[in-house]
Amino acid sequence: MAKELMKGNVAAAEAAIRAGMDFFAGYPITPSTEVLEHLALRMPQENREMIQGENEIASMNMVIGAAACGARAMTASSGPGISLKAEAFSYAARSELPYVCLNVQRWGVGLGRLDSGQSDYMRETKGGGHGDYHHIVYSPSTIQELVDDIYEAWDVSEKYRCGVVVLSEGFLGQMMESVEIPPYKKREKPLGWGIDGSGKIGTRQSPDTDTLVARLRERTALIQSQMQRYENYQVEDAEYVFVAFGLPARVCRDAVDTLRAKGEKAGLIRPRLVWPYPVQAFKEVNPQVKGFISIESNDLGQMVEDVALASRVTSDKRVPVYCYAHSMGTPGVKMVMGKYMEVKNGSMKEVF
Amino acid sequence: MKEIIFAGFGGQGVLTGGLIIAYMAAQKDLNAVWMPAYGPTMRGGKANCVVKFGETVQEKVGSPIMEDADILIAMNEPSLDYLQFCKPDATVFVNSNAVRQDYDYPEGMTVISVDCVHLAQEAENMKGQNLVMAGAVIKKCSLFELEYATAAMCRFFESKGKGKYNDKNIKAIECGYRAVS
Repeated sequence: MAKELMKGNVAAAEAAIRAGMDFFAGYPITPSTEVLEHLALRMPQENREMIQGENEIASMNMVIGAAACGARAMTASSGPGISLKAEAFSYAARSELPYVCLNVQRWGVGLGRLDSGQSDYMRETKGGGHGDYHHIVYSPSTIQELVDDIYEAWDVSEKYRCGVVVLSEGFLGQMMESVEIPPYKKREKPLGWGIDGSGKIGTRQSPDTDTLVARLRERTALIQSQMQRYENYQVEDAEYVFVAFGLPARVCRDAVDTLRAKGEKAGLIRPRLVWPYPVQAFKEVNPQVKGFISIESNDLGQMVEDVALASRVTSDKRVPVYCYAHSMGTPGVKMVMGKYMEVKNGSMKEVF
Repeated sequence: MKEIIFAGFGGQGVLTGGLIIAYMAAQKDLNAVWMPAYGPTMRGGKANCVVKFGETVQEKVGSPIMEDADILIAMNEPSLDYLQFCKPDATVFVNSNAVRQDYDYPEGMTVISVDCVHLAQEAENMKGQNLVMAGAVIKKCSLFELEYATAAMCRFFESKGKGKYNDKNIKAIECGYRAVS
């Protein structure tokens, strides 16, 4: 199929339809609104359900209901809107329900601003609601990856009975890029547990607490070992390695090429999932590496903590970990190269 | 890699103008990215978009943001603020009806003045000033052949249900294309 020039949010919504999404509920918020807009048009054409809920949590609660009945269900929002869904995420985790949540991140705390950002890393990777649970979190860098991730999301979510978050960014949602939209697909095998009205199967038959805890622990460990996804670039001989996901990762890759052309030994780890964190990627890095540099579009640096933990597998010695938190938007190549030189000449202080 | 900034006031068609150039690239199977400036803006306020595309089918677009442009299209004078995001040898296309002639450009840049209003009048398509400019850019920077460019533009408008204006729009692009050498 030929490539089309598509807006990130529209491509994401269409990918969800192609992946067999039966039900969508959400509430509009910039910069994710085109997802709802596209689905409001397309879902009825496909004879599927799309509801604009009265608010965010109601929408997510509807997703819980649909998922409990075995539907492929999804919600989408942006930073502050996702916060409002957090209670429902926790309840979905308790019922081991698969679903997909698309977060088109904006920048900032509170209401934030419409600017693009990566402010929600902590919340998405560490749970976000109350209690112990994780989402599986995809971190696409291109619109094609955004499409491919959503296309796969329910397969993974149903396999592990774990919610999936696709972590987009304002710019990724708003920009257009050449993309190939995959064909329609359906779930291959019946789930075997969705509520069917018989009263014999479904989430009412949930296990006792000990069984549930054991199951959650076992699944979490399984996901952590089976879902190590990353792209390493020029890390084998690197002196300094950038770590970045989403749009900053594209910038860092350009920066690595430019720095290499100038004789600098730069490398890049690009997590394709940010939970589970790709610790494996850090084992492939030159053990003599002089530092990791986390490049993020937020204010305080969030992923840098995971970089510091993962860096322990690279070498027996402690590897210094630096962070450039760009705040809103996406840093440019020159900016990232400047930060590399600051690390190299000692003017940037290490974080860990 | 080509990086183009298309800037002006909201309503001058700068987002559409950039999108059409991106579409022309994408239809050639080149990797193309179109990034609009978005946010709490208003009609008549500043608007811009960045278009980047690979010059071969293999070449990918890395960073999607405005940084090192080969071409700046300025439909008004405030758009010249983006000169700071241009390469030292960039080509700058200015709308001569909205930018003063004695503007002091950085040395090393090539400046092409395009009389968008009169050329659009000639094409009997006053709303096609962005297309006039696109035509001039495509010719001067050898981005695409005229025939290919107009055919791609027509497909673009047809996909939006606006194919009925194709003849007028082709004229606008042609006027711009012929206005530069």
